[in-house]
Amino acid sequence: MNSKSLFYILKRILLAILTVWIVVTITFFVSRAVPGGPFASEKAITPATKAALEAKYGLDKPLMEQYTTYLSDIVTEFDFGPSLKNRGRDVIDVIGDGLETSAQLGLSAAAIALVVGVVLGAVAALRRNKLIDRIVMVFTTACISMPSFIMGTLLLILFAITWHILPANGNADGGLILPIITLSLSPMANITRLTRSSMLDVLGQDYIRTAKAKGVSGVKIIFGHALKNALIPVITYFGPMLAYIVTGSLVVEKIFAVPGIGRTFVSSITDRDYPMIMGTTIVLASLIVIMNMVSDILYKVVDPRITLE
Amino acid sequence: MKKILALVLAVVMCLSLFAACGEKKDENKDKALTSLAVCLASEPDTLDPALNSAVDGATMVSHLFSGLAKWTQDKDGKLVIVADSAKELVEGVVNEDGTVTYTYTLRDGLKWSDGKAVTAADFAFAWKRAASTALGADYGYMFEQVKGYPDELAVTAKDEKTLEVVLNNAVAYWNELLAFPTYFPVREDVVANESWATEPATYVCNGAYTITAWEHDSVITLTKNANYHDAASVTLPELKCYLSDDENNMLANFKNGDWKMIDSVPVNEMTALAKDYPNEYKVVGQIGTYYVCWNVNEEILPKGNTLTGVEAEKAKAEIRAAIGLLFDRNHIVLNVSQAGEVPASSFVAMGMTEPDGSEFYKNAGTSDSFDGYYNVAADAFEANFNSAVETLKKYYKYDEASKKFTDFPTLTYLYNTADNHKAIGEYLAGALAAVGITMNLENQEWNTFLNTRKEGDYSIARNGWVADYNDPICFLDMWTTASGNNDIQFGKGAHAGLKMYDLDLTALGYETKVEDGTWAETFDVLISTIKGETDAAKRFQLMHIAEDMLMSTGCIVPIYYYTDTFMIDEDVEGFFTNPLGYKYFMYCK
Repeated sequence: MNSKSLFYILKRILLAILTVWIVVTITFFVSRAVPGGPFASEKAITPATKAALEAKYGLDKPLMEQYTTYLSDIVTEFDFGPSLKNRGRDVIDVIGDGLETSAQLGLSAAAIALVVGVVLGAVAALRRNKLIDRIVMVFTTACISMPSFIMGTLLLILFAITWHILPANGNADGGLILPIITLSLSPMANITRLTRSSMLDVLGQDYIRTAKAKGVSGVKIIFGHALKNALIPVITYFGPMLAYIVTGSLVVEKIFAVPGIGRTFVSSITDRDYPMIMGTTIVLASLIVIMNMVSDILYKVVDPRITLE
Repeated sequence: MKKILALVLAVVMCLSLFAACGEKKDENKDKALTSLAVCLASEPDTLDPALNSAVDGATMVSHLFSGLAKWTQDKDGKLVIVADSAKELVEGVVNEDGTVTYTYTLRDGLKWSDGKAVTAADFAFAWKRAASTALGADYGYMFEQVKGYPDELAVTAKDEKTLEVVLNNAVAYWNELLAFPTYFPVREDVVANESWATEPATYVCNGAYTITAWEHDSVITLTKNANYHDAASVTLPELKCYLSDDENNMLANFKNGDWKMIDSVPVNEMTALAKDYPNEYKVVGQIGTYYVCWNVNEEILPKGNTLTGVEAEKAKAEIRAAIGLLFDRNHIVLNVSQAGEVPASSFVAMGMTEPDGSEFYKNAGTSDSFDGYYNVAADAFEANFNSAVETLKKYYKYDEASKKFTDFPTLTYLYNTADNHKAIGEYLAGALAAVGITMNLENQEWNTFLNTRKEGDYSIARNGWVADYNDPICFLDMWTTASGNNDIQFGKGAHAGLKMYDLDLTALGYETKVEDGTWAETFDVLISTIKGETDAAKRFQLMHIAEDMLMSTGCIVPIYYYTDTFMIDEDVEGFFTNPLGYKYFMYCK
């Protein structure tokens, strides 16, 4: 890795920090500008009580002061503040719990999607226009076109209610199996199709023909040359996909009652739980930014022709 | 060969799935009830009894704490309130100044879950804490009747076991308040840690159960508390409260037998569930009213009308009341909301009782032929409808040919985003469209909606109110001028200056007699009179007058009385629920 690459990486990191900061700032002011507040409920609390609560959480201070206090607490002490809704719990604890489950769910789903997707894609490409290729294509088209709430509900009805093989709630033993499958199907199908088309592309390249002509074994051609190069588009897709799976599993989390971060993210907004909105936003934005950055850098590692500038 | 092998493998896999399915079913049979898995709602906002204001939280807290009183069932299965940590529920002593003093003695040997003794001082501390402005609890106002509320609460521990509390006046529902979670004791050294109620290790309680495990957003495990004074009668060793906010997921878990009780069901499944699970689908009464409210200051008279001030408001009251009669409440409960609700003819909900035990709503209004303020019988709808149209004709142009009004200003109905509110809104808009009144629908997300409605930035809106205790005052005092729940904006804006209300209480022995007063001079005075009245019979008469006044404005359009819908496995015995929607599992077997 030369100094140019190092400079590029450094630049990307600084840009990533800037991006997150902009997201934080916009979210901070937009969330406060939305009507309603964290202490609103069907049964109104008295103005004195509301004032006491606002004073307790520093919400009575000028907005700019709240903003600077918030940022400095995070930067200096990594303190995300207390949740306004879950009284007595800190934002960082709630996010930690949720993120652990979401990560378990997301990473498993991503791993399955990647392994199965690449294998299926490669097989389909190598058996192009044969029966197996057709089956894989039909299967992946179905997986891509079926939204996760339909797929999830279908799996739930079959495996949890009709056959009683797997639990319906994500908290039970083995409860994550169905959500992981549901979550992995669509990206798996995408990866399959990506791998297949880029593999076909690679297999038609001159250097593959050369390798064949030189008598290199089929296995070595596929794994040593074709697959390695065919995976470049998959890597570009994989980074953002991972971020999407970890952060965007809300629907699946809801269907299977998985205690992940997606639910916390949405409920924090409806509850106007400002510190929680900020905390989840920071975590999710950072994840996405980091994943994108990592996948860009990996790009370079896999394909030396690409220069980082 | 390979293909055949693959086929055989696939068949074997499928068969093994079915085999696994069979095993699981057998396992579930004949299991003694050592643990009960239920789902009330998602992660509770708090399990601190003072801070909790949610029904699911109240259910859990009622299993974890023992107040002076508790809800239970008597031998005949009737719901009663009995002494719990107190030896008995004593009568109050009326003092010279009209205040009432209650002196309770705690049972012997009461212990916290960590083994320390429960003292009267713990109760005094807990009550003062719950009521205080500093804590900012939603339900702090439940101590409103106690002298010195909010920050100088007159509750003292006379000794280790004697607790004395002074109320501003006799409160008919005092024992019910004692069984309310906000009145449960907590210990000062325990709650000094602000996070005490979020982890099992720091959660010290004194009730039938303790928290032994809490996986946040996942499951809370309650285990029988050996230190509870009445542990002998607690039959269920363990209660697992699963946490989910998705009704469809709850139903899936109920259907596959994992969860034995779920506290809410998807609205669109209700009809099917009632048919398919007749012994497990439950609909019980709840003291609450679903209603539509008008903004009192909203201009609804036709353009070019000459009425102003008091005259205009009187006309508007008549118009609003008439519009309320255009809605077929029986149709709504049978075909729209479909959860077994009861059509409402009064604002104070069904289930509220008078001192003699009769239903408050049955004595409301002036008619002897029906209960409440108008007849909600299915066969009375046509007459109601026709009389409403006749009333509206006095103010609006009516086209006899199309049977429609032609100059009614366009209305906008505000509701919070939810399927059932939307469905009801659509029905209401349809019913008005039938007589030529255009009502657009506007939905807002919950928190924004609350804000908009509170600020009075609407013309007509969806509303609902569920009681905290069995006394009509909780439906009435919310409409005083300064109340934070006065969404209708009574006594605010233009309505503040309208001198049009009469209040004559001389027949009841009071000096109060106001003619042509403002809302503040009449309704507000009436509510404070009710709050100061110690004679139960008089108090209830005053409350009927207050409801009459409210209904005369036409601003409240009751739709139905709420019901509580849930599912419970038919094999579970000993379960009961109270009118506030709390569920009780400790005596399940």
